[in-house]
Amino acid sequence: MKHPVATEKEIPVEIRKQIAENQQIIDRLNRELARKSNEVRIIQQISSEITSTLDLDRILETILSAMDRILGFQHAMILLKDQSADNLRVVASRGYDHVTVGAEIAFGHGVIGVVAERQKMMRVGNIGASVSYLTAVQAKLKEAGQQGLSHVTAKLPSLPNVQSQLAIPLLVKDRLIGVLAVESPRPNAFDELDEILLSIVANQAATAIENARMYQMVEQLSRLKRFFSPQLAELIVAGGTEDPLKTHRREVTVVFLDLRGFTTFAEQVEPEEVMGVLRDYHAEMGRLILEHEGTLERFTGDGMMIFFNDPVPVPNPAERALRMVLVMRERVQELSSRWRRRGYDLALGMGIAQGYATIGAIGFEGRWDYGAIGTVTNLAARLCGEAKGNQILVSLRVAGEVEALIETEEVGPLALKGFHKPVPAFSVLGMKPNA
Amino acid sequence: MGILPDEIKPAMQGVIPSHVATCSLDGTPNVTTVSQVYYVDPDHVALSYQFFNKTIKNIRENPRALAWVINPETFESWDLALEYEHSETSGPVFDVMDMQIEAIASMTGMKGIFKLRASDIYRVISATKNVGERLPLSEIDIASGTT
Amino acid sequence: MYAGTRDERLCPAQTFVIGAVVHPDQETITFFVPESRSERILSDLKSNGRVALAVSLLTHEAYQLKGSYISSRPTDTKDRTVQEIYRSKLLSAMLQASYPEQIARPLVLGMAYQPAVAMTFRVEEIFLQTPGPEAGRKIS
Repeated sequence: MKHPVATEKEIPVEIRKQIAENQQIIDRLNRELARKSNEVRIIQQISSEITSTLDLDRILETILSAMDRILGFQHAMILLKDQSADNLRVVASRGYDHVTVGAEIAFGHGVIGVVAERQKMMRVGNIGASVSYLTAVQAKLKEAGQQGLSHVTAKLPSLPNVQSQLAIPLLVKDRLIGVLAVESPRPNAFDELDEILLSIVANQAATAIENARMYQMVEQLSRLKRFFSPQLAELIVAGGTEDPLKTHRREVTVVFLDLRGFTTFAEQVEPEEVMGVLRDYHAEMGRLILEHEGTLERFTGDGMMIFFNDPVPVPNPAERALRMVLVMRERVQELSSRWRRRGYDLALGMGIAQGYATIGAIGFEGRWDYGAIGTVTNLAARLCGEAKGNQILVSLRVAGEVEALIETEEVGPLALKGFHKPVPAFSVLGMKPNA
Repeated sequence: MGILPDEIKPAMQGVIPSHVATCSLDGTPNVTTVSQVYYVDPDHVALSYQFFNKTIKNIRENPRALAWVINPETFESWDLALEYEHSETSGPVFDVMDMQIEAIASMTGMKGIFKLRASDIYRVISATKNVGERLPLSEIDIASGTT
Repeated sequence: MYAGTRDERLCPAQTFVIGAVVHPDQETITFFVPESRSERILSDLKSNGRVALAVSLLTHEAYQLKGSYISSRPTDTKDRTVQEIYRSKLLSAMLQASYPEQIARPLVLGMAYQPAVAMTFRVEEIFLQTPGPEAGRKIS
């Protein structure tokens, strides 16, 4: 049965009122939805800008610029947590005359410090009024003899006349990596919508920053692994040792090795065979260096320089050097017998010395190497040069350090180039039976 | 329910101090300034309890209070008739207030000394927007400070 | 300055007060309440007479004076002068205490202060009300 359609005139007043109200509600919802879609679009735009690069500086710049251009936050800063301290450091800022990168805020100090400590967002709009109120209370308490009041509060990086602040922790899987903060000289400048928008930006920012930092670490790690053992490289990247590339002096034990007869061999034999020998030799030597946690400073074809006690200090560098070299001698003797069957006559010569060296980055832009310079390196190199095939020559100092471990025979003093007096030298025969 | 409208929120940010009137059980009124009346939800507000004072004493005897708050942009003011419900020393409301107080205290050399003892939670019985309290802004000669 | 009263059910009421005068006897005070707020205050005062007057200097030093209502009347021109002096002193005190000008000026100058009712009471107790652990100490 068809129902008669009511004409507008027939619809009762109450129902018409209801329809009008419903329409108002629908209009309002549509407007809110449009606003929300707008916000969603804005957030998507910011998000894609932030995550489009792995360069940390670009990411920070993009975040602050997007927050200003798109969301209208004119004064903003990003702080990252120090690796091992409850401290934040400004890594980027926008809209400030005097906030410098590197400025520090300790956990628990000011809005930003409290946000870091509690790992919760905070919004304040009345900083001037609050500070003036508390300053007066402090004066009264001082009069009444209250102890423990500080006179001077450390100057926190901020707008000089800040009234409003909104700060959000940057969290990656519940771990605090930093804080994102915006400020305004107007009281009550931020509202709940700002909190929501900033939370979303903070989430994106935290992930992007963490990814960029991971990438930076991986890059640094692979760069360092060219010089150091993986354990050492990881230790350096994790911040467990001081920057090894910064110039410093340290007492190190230096080992020089090379293959006796290599030059002749390389001249006479096909290049592919030379490379084959070198490959086997490097593989063995490299493995032993890693095992003994030595630092390979350089290798040039058959020659290698390894040292102990830098960048990571070890308690017994001379002993480690000795043990490594003894094993190396054995291995190369094994390799040599294989090579001899092919007609190659190669044997390892080794020199070890101990003393202070200047260590750090040597080279030039685009080609930095980690190197050591000093009398000790010259001595080790010269001793190696003097060593016959399968012979280990050590300096007086080294012999003294390891005398409990090894049998030696004096072969010096030797006249060495670059040393105006003959130098005592000892040949290592082998480990003492009880060592 | 849902007494407090959204438009009152700017008045509850502590930009302009509020004042709160209470009354002891023996009928003596008391009125004090508070730096902020905190918005909790459309039916509740909170006051911070840092030092014991007459207001705190009064509402624990007689829970009725009257708070006056003012919007720092429009200068509209509201009278909130309140009834004290309970105090909190933990939880989300306490945390928000505690964090703010800790931040400002640390900025004025009062870290650890000026602390939130509790958040006093009040139920809002009524919220009346005041009329006739203000001169129309056009009548105020802002520059010379005279009317 | 604020005044607080209460009704028969012990429900408090309050108003801001624009100007006050201490009488020569040093025991009586007359304070001025704008008409927009005077109705409830007067009704409380007439019914039980209890009143509290909070006076604060913007150094956050504050006093609470408590007492009993005596009488009330409309304000006259002398009262009006006192009110105007109070307004300008309040504004300069707020500005000195670093309140932003764009808030302090409209806040103080926008308060409707006339027409007003002059209410007189006898002071019975004075309390120090400055924030801090000393609050509530009775001083006379």
